[in-house]
Amino acid sequence: MINNGPRIPALVFLALALATGAVSAQSRRVIRITAERFSFTPSQVVIETGEEVELRLKSDDTAHGFRIVGGGVSVTIPKRGHQELSVLFRPAMAGRYSFECTRMCGAGHNFMRGVLIVRDPRTDAAARP
Amino acid sequence: MTQKNGFDGRGVPCLRSLCAVLAQLAFAGTLSAQTPADSSYPATGPVSGYMDFHFNQPSDADGSLDFHRFVLIFSHSFTPRIRFVAELEIEHAIVEGLEEKGAVELEQAYVDFLLARRVNLRAGMLLVPIGIINERHEPPVFNGVERPFVDTLIIPSTWFEAGAGVHGELGTGLRYRAYVMAPLDATKFSADQGIREGRQEGAESNVRHAAFTGRAEYVGIQGLTLGASAWSGQSSFSIRRLDVPVRLGEVDARYKRDRVELRGEFANVTIGEAGALNDALRLLTGVSPNVARELRGFYGEAAYRVWSDGPARDLVGFVRYENFDTQFRMPAGFLPVRQFDRDAWVVGATYYPDPDVAVKVDYVVQRNQSAIVKSPNSFNVGLGWWF
Repeated sequence: MINNGPRIPALVFLALALATGAVSAQSRRVIRITAERFSFTPSQVVIETGEEVELRLKSDDTAHGFRIVGGGVSVTIPKRGHQELSVLFRPAMAGRYSFECTRMCGAGHNFMRGVLIVRDPRTDAAARP
Repeated sequence: MTQKNGFDGRGVPCLRSLCAVLAQLAFAGTLSAQTPADSSYPATGPVSGYMDFHFNQPSDADGSLDFHRFVLIFSHSFTPRIRFVAELEIEHAIVEGLEEKGAVELEQAYVDFLLARRVNLRAGMLLVPIGIINERHEPPVFNGVERPFVDTLIIPSTWFEAGAGVHGELGTGLRYRAYVMAPLDATKFSADQGIREGRQEGAESNVRHAAFTGRAEYVGIQGLTLGASAWSGQSSFSIRRLDVPVRLGEVDARYKRDRVELRGEFANVTIGEAGALNDALRLLTGVSPNVARELRGFYGEAAYRVWSDGPARDLVGFVRYENFDTQFRMPAGFLPVRQFDRDAWVVGATYYPDPDVAVKVDYVVQRNQSAIVKSPNSFNVGLGWWF
């Protein structure tokens, strides 16, 4: 079974990339993801439909790409020592959204992948890991 | 029950699994046609790569300047799920026919079929998934001008071979890869270099036997990586009546917290029928290579990031202890050469003017167990970069 974002039709999302300092203080959940050759930590994140989360992306070495397949998010995480990058993400539908590094970062670049699991709290019918 | 043909009940699940994989493979090829909205494919990535420039001053010889590695990496995505990656390397700057100079190596050239998070297919020229360095060898990611001795003499990095296999991630942070590859050539094994010269490197590799290799890796906790890898294969195709099974087992760990970075690795190689191999090679060449039946090495490294969380510039100091013996155990009737039982202290620093540029300096104190032959110490300076 292939469970990537492009198979979920009519996806409604909010995605916005901006520097950390510009994010207004709200009660949204903050999820920190660290990129390092050749992994994201954590590589599996669970959120709920309609929940707006702030993904704070940080690199521990070189610049990495970060793309949520079918989620409308594709940004570059700055190199170590530079600012974190914040991405706001609000999925409307349950499902599994792969995320991956899109900037060649070395021999294991294609291993840099993860998954956002979106569950529907009303039905709890979301895909499970 | 006597099995009279190859299609009993146990075969059905395997057949189903194979059909499922083939179906996913077919789906991977047609996905882009089903998602016409994604117009960014096919896409060829920009050329990336890394370089490694060294000055080495051994205590018993003249110093040398060596443009050790010039590596270009190419990538292309046919569709979001079918991707090609190649790594082409020139070692030691110049390649001349019939001379022991540099080398042009195709270290990677594979196609990934990204099917699902748990299972993906990969085929072509692959890096053997053993140890810390072999798959993770860009100059800014390790301390020391040269790669660790254990990752050179026990694990023959950069170890690449033609093959195919699967990789994926199970749950949170548990990753694996498992490949079938061409085996090593045991006729090239030696006393001081171990199995290193036995790599066939995908050059019309003999596959009378297949080798199997795999790695499991846990990366689920921030800053911690735990790994275990193995290789097993018959390496006897050049001497037809002699089976030489080679097995390599390895475990490693890396941990990074705040300013401290720790890493360690242990690797062990066993060579079956090493005595018969030595005898056969002595008959062929007139000289016994004195190949061991067991090789062993380990190291531990501690590093401290002097500058951290400030500007992009970093300074890391480190110390590493390595112990490695390419003649750890000998077959009956053969004696080890004590100079190959070695250990080394490596002390140095890495300065990063940018996270992708590493200026390295270190001093290596190397010892061995021989009362006659001394291992040279060395002072090394390196400049490596990734782009």
